[in-house]
Amino acid sequence: MNVIVADIRTKFQELGVDIPAEKIEERLEKLIVKFKVPQEEAKRSVVNFFLKEYSISKDKFYGGQGETTFSKVADISEDGKWVNLKVKVVQIWENTHESISQVGLLADETGTIKFIAWAAAELPTVEEGRSYIFKNVVSSEWNGKMEVTLNKSSSIEETADDIHVQSKSKGVASLVKVADISEDGRWVDLKGKIVQLWENTNESISQVGLIGDETSSIKFIKWASAEIPVDLVEGNNYLLRNAVTSEWNGKLEITLNKSSSIEEISDEIEVNTRDTVITAAMVDIQSGSGLIKRCPQCNRSLTKGACAEHGKVDGVYDLRLKAVLDTGTITQDVLLKREVTEEISGITLEDAIAMAADALDQGVVLEAMKQKLVGKYYKVSGPRVDRYVLVESIEKESILDHKLLEELINEAEVI
Amino acid sequence: MAGYTREVAKRLFSQEFRESNLTFKDGDDQYSPQYLFTPTGAKVNRMFIVGTLTEKEDIGSDSEYWRGRVSDPTGSFFIYAGQYQPEAAQVLAECDTPEFVAIIGKPSTYTTPEGDIRTSIRPESMYIVDGETRDLWVLDTAKATLERLKNLSTSHPDALKAKEHYKTDTKHYASMVLKALRSLKEEY
Repeated sequence: MNVIVADIRTKFQELGVDIPAEKIEERLEKLIVKFKVPQEEAKRSVVNFFLKEYSISKDKFYGGQGETTFSKVADISEDGKWVNLKVKVVQIWENTHESISQVGLLADETGTIKFIAWAAAELPTVEEGRSYIFKNVVSSEWNGKMEVTLNKSSSIEETADDIHVQSKSKGVASLVKVADISEDGRWVDLKGKIVQLWENTNESISQVGLIGDETSSIKFIKWASAEIPVDLVEGNNYLLRNAVTSEWNGKLEITLNKSSSIEEISDEIEVNTRDTVITAAMVDIQSGSGLIKRCPQCNRSLTKGACAEHGKVDGVYDLRLKAVLDTGTITQDVLLKREVTEEISGITLEDAIAMAADALDQGVVLEAMKQKLVGKYYKVSGPRVDRYVLVESIEKESILDHKLLEELINEAEVI
Repeated sequence: MAGYTREVAKRLFSQEFRESNLTFKDGDDQYSPQYLFTPTGAKVNRMFIVGTLTEKEDIGSDSEYWRGRVSDPTGSFFIYAGQYQPEAAQVLAECDTPEFVAIIGKPSTYTTPEGDIRTSIRPESMYIVDGETRDLWVLDTAKATLERLKNLSTSHPDALKAKEHYKTDTKHYASMVLKALRSLKEEY
């Protein structure tokens, strides 16, 4: 505690104010001992108390006169420290929270760190690629990683010094296999095949889906703000550079941002899918199933003839099923693509188009499929992705398992 | 819809369904799901049955209101479908009897003037199926019922609750399952 007292006293002396050590100590001790305030917080509180008492501005105290000492990004390792940084803004991220003004990545020659500028701090905004002096920002730990936050006491000043940023690009990200991705926040290069492109309803996302290699598959998100000119196509193979792994809802995914790049490659990648196999009754087929129309540009399914991204378009017909399987103990949502839907329903895309034209209603196809499929038992297999199993094979169960029957009879006899 | 999970469709034979008389709500606001609690400890908000539609009758006075009787190896289920169950009502109106049917529906109870509790099913959907599916359902339901019977000897809250309310005789339901299973062998 004496160290803190001396530290506070020296700092005030530099500003021309001599506060008796006992006064500082008394206040500090009260906070720490009686009110169980953590040391750092107590110190801050004591400083603020005397700043107010002697009408000294916070800037003057923290920003200090004369030489400001700067910390290096790599040295930030403790929660709750006030630091000054000379850094380049390397990324501004999509910000969805109204209490945040800006969020992104800062870098200097030693490393990168996330920053958050609170809206309440009312600070000028920063721009990607420019260098700034950040004064009085606070380090904090979140989810096991350090970040800095900008508050009302912080200041931002653009600087002409070009800060040499440690390159996170080419060479730093290593080429990995999907199965090896196990950590949040890693920069990776990945060679994979686009297994699926999903419907995307969020306008901040350009494309989302599943990419796989011979070890496994993983969800990817290409942010609209990444402005990557390549449009990924299902079934094609790509090399993704500088993608970032992240965890969402307990699952890992990879995201493509402004620093990322995509290159189509000619290698043919064999995707490994760890299939889920379920035998269960189909208890529902959901709306959006049967004969649908997709946007010719982005493959999203249309709602009332309009694509969420491209507006009114001339849709392309497709068949699919979103069904619910129920084992009696769990329910499982499953997705069937056109080929599988045609196979199990016996209705081809051509049949479906003809049926709809006859009835002047697309809904007849869904109704016919329900009549044919719901209420019966099926065995399906395919990879599980989020809440769906993407069905690759489906078979109607029809043969009674006589071995199970004997086993159950034996069991029932001894109860 | 965050937090929404679809209610699982439970499997139980008509005899156990008929002998059930305990309902409760999980939570106390008006949207809390209602459950039927059965003698073997199944908490049923939705059920899946496959059986033979043996009778159907429009018992409505102004609008159509269908009653159907669906039999399984242990007895019969009653189903009621009116204007709020249009899909099922339409199937009932158009189909012949007998017919194999699969029904996904909600259990409902009615207390008679004598104070007896009658159970029936309000179908959400109803489909015509085949005999193979019906046999698969009997096997499936036998398996699920045996699981619950085995759990009755544990201290699982549902098991305790079942024994407290019904004083469940496991032999009674084991022989019901046995009857259902043996019926499958007779057909082969």
